[in-house]
Parts: sequence; C-alpha cells; structure tokens
Amino acid sequence: MLESGLCNYVVLSYGHNAFSSDSMRRMLMERGADDPVFGHFGAAAGYALAARRAMHTFRTGPETWKQIAVGQRKWANLNPMATMVGQKMTFEDYYSSRWIVEPFRLFDACLMTDGGRAIVISSAERARDLKHPPVLIMGMGQHNPSYDVHQATHLAGPTGAKRAGEMAFKMAGVTLNDIDACQIYDCFSYTVEITLQDYGFFGPGEGEDWFKGGTIEPGGRMPINTSGGQLSEAYTMGLTPLSEAAMQLMSRCGKRQLGPATNTKSSEIILCSDNGAILQTHSCIILRRS
Amino acid sequence: MGDYHKPLPKVNGDSREFWTGCKRHELRFQKCKACGYVRWPASVICPKCYSQETQWIVARGKGKVYTFVVYHVVYHPGFEKDIPYVVADVELEEGPRLLTNIVSCPPDEVICDMPVQVTWEDITEEFSLPKFKPV
Repeated sequence: MLESGLCNYVVLSYGHNAFSSDSMRRMLMERGADDPVFGHFGAAAGYALAARRAMHTFRTGPETWKQIAVGQRKWANLNPMATMVGQKMTFEDYYSSRWIVEPFRLFDACLMTDGGRAIVISSAERARDLKHPPVLIMGMGQHNPSYDVHQATHLAGPTGAKRAGEMAFKMAGVTLNDIDACQIYDCFSYTVEITLQDYGFFGPGEGEDWFKGGTIEPGGRMPINTSGGQLSEAYTMGLTPLSEAAMQLMSRCGKRQLGPATNTKSSEIILCSDNGAILQTHSCIILRRS
Repeated sequence: MGDYHKPLPKVNGDSREFWTGCKRHELRFQKCKACGYVRWPASVICPKCYSQETQWIVARGKGKVYTFVVYHVVYHPGFEKDIPYVVADVELEEGPRLLTNIVSCPPDEVICDMPVQVTWEDITEEFSLPKFKPV
C-alpha cells in the first residue's frame, strides 16, 4: 500500500482489556469444536500438547524452559513498563510455580494484560524527516501450517518458523550470524525454544545447552525478548516483540538498552517472530537500524 | 444420567454420523473412495486428493497416544472432581487422530506412543463418548 502510493502512513495497533475483563478467557474457552466435551480448553493446553510431543521427539523439557522464563524475567526487571518489573525469578521459583496443564507450570505461561501498542509504518523516504530515527524492514516471511491441530505434524517442529525464517533471511540478504538479538513471540516458554530451533540457532534437542549460562539474558551473547516479553512484560500479541525490536533499534530502551548499558553487543539487526493459534501460523520479520 | 454437567457435543451436519456411531459404540470416520485416506474431522472433500467420493468406515478402536497433557486447573466446573485428568491426541491405526481422555491409568503412567484401545462412556440418552485405556 505504501509502495504503490495508496497511502502514506499505516498504523499497526492492538489494544485489549484482557486482564480486567473475561473476554480473552471466553474467546479461548470457546475455541476448538468439541474439545470441551473432553475437558480440553484454551491455549495453554494446546501448546502443552505440542511441548509434550517435543519432549518425546527430542530432548527438551523444564530444564530448557526454566532458562527462558528466568532469562526473560531478568530483562523485565530492567523495564519500568513491565508487569513483573519488581519481581525476581530464580530456577527454584520456576520449579515451585504450580502446574497449570502439565508439562506447563504457571511460569511457562504468558501474562494477561490490559494495554496496547501501536507502530507507524511509512516509506523510508518519508520517515527520514520524522522526529525519531526510523527502523528499516529488511525482510519478512510467512508460513502457515494451519490444518486441524489434532492432525498436525508440526507440533515438535518444523513449525511455520522454518520456511517463514528462510523467506525473511533471503529477502533481507543476511544470515543467522548477522542477527544481534531476537524478539520472539512467547505465549509459552516452549514457543521460544521451537521458534529459535526452527530458525536454525540450534539443532533439535540442543536448546538446553544453547540457553545454558545466560545466553539470552542481560550480558548474554544472544539477547532474547529484552522487554521481558509476553511471559514477563505484557501480552499485546505480535506487537510485544515487534514494538520492542523497533524501540531497541531507535535506542529508546533506557536501562534495558542493548549495548554498554546491559553489557551486550550494540544491536544493528533484530529478528522478530509472531505466531497464531497452536503454532498454526507464523510470521518472521528482520529489522535494521537506519 | 440426568446429572451430567460437562459440555455436550455440538452436533452439526458434518459430525452427525460420527456422534450417531458413538451412540452405537462405533468409531466412524470418512474414507476417501479415490485415494483411501481416512480423515477427521469430517469434511466434504478429501484433504489429500480433493475427491468428494467418500464412504464411512468403522475403525477398530486401537491406536497409540500421540501426545497428552495433564490438567491441574479447573477450566469448567464439570471437571472439578476429575483433576488431575489426562487429555490426549490418540492416533488410530486407521490414521486419524482423535482428541480424547485416557482413563483407567494414573496420569503419571501415561507416555507418548503407548498402545491404547477405545472404551465407551455412556453419558446421556443421546451421547456416548469414546475414551481410551491402556491395552
């Protein structure tokens, strides 16, 4: 639309009172045909079915997921906007959080948030004159293996992230080695693992070793979900990762800013993901500092 | 059976044959007459070869647990007394996977790929539910 001149600016927005009203919960309860007949409700259990299959197919589980939950919480502790800014989390806290739908504990699940986000998209030429330095879109890709989830063969990967990622990297003309940080859609901890695995950051089952030692945390070699993400900052759908990537590349992140402030590499290129339903749709976008 | 307080199937034109079969303790699925693919959920066109020629077959009721979860949270009051309960995708020998419950087995003894067979739960005058137990 922008390139063809149909419009000059596009606002990408999301807002919801998902915490204080029951509208999100009801929407999640009522999805899935006759699933409620067997006591199957919501999104947590759908992703838990995927995570369980992954535990069986390759070596993963709480030992991997705790590092995602705790690592992201450390970022949230630096973010005054984050729901969990004042609450630390240790591995012990992770293990002692209550079961929701096994294999997921409470701390494997994202937040319910009252809030919203908006991003303005324009042409690079127009953006040059705006108040903030713009962020450039280098590449994007989508892949949607959206058949009936109970027949799905992608629950333990490859999810849509694999082909969507390949498309985005090809369009951007970069490789994994050029990525400085990632903002990954993290409705559940396992979503982060399978998405990074399908992008190629590590092989199936190598996630536990890859995450070990604070890889994704402040000071780590591959910062992930630097706002705290949906697990610890706020759930605003795909705009949680996308807005954080844009803010980081505009250097508007204060105490959690990538670079010297957080003992991390200054970021030029950030990879973002979004997915929908139970890993049934996937978008990948690669952004660059201008 | 008048005191059944869990959600009931929402029968429609596509799923009627399945739920009518369940009442007779038969697991009925569509089999494509062109390519032989057995499919679920029910649909007018084969998702593999797009043929509309189809017949209903009765599955043997044997399969294995593809994946499963254990519910520790009450999402619906009808399931309060069942906590912790197991929801599973069971892969039938004929091919389709069915969302169901694993019963007659402690939740911590369920594992992926374990063999299971159907067992019927008569819940109302109108409905029987296919659930699965270890072989």
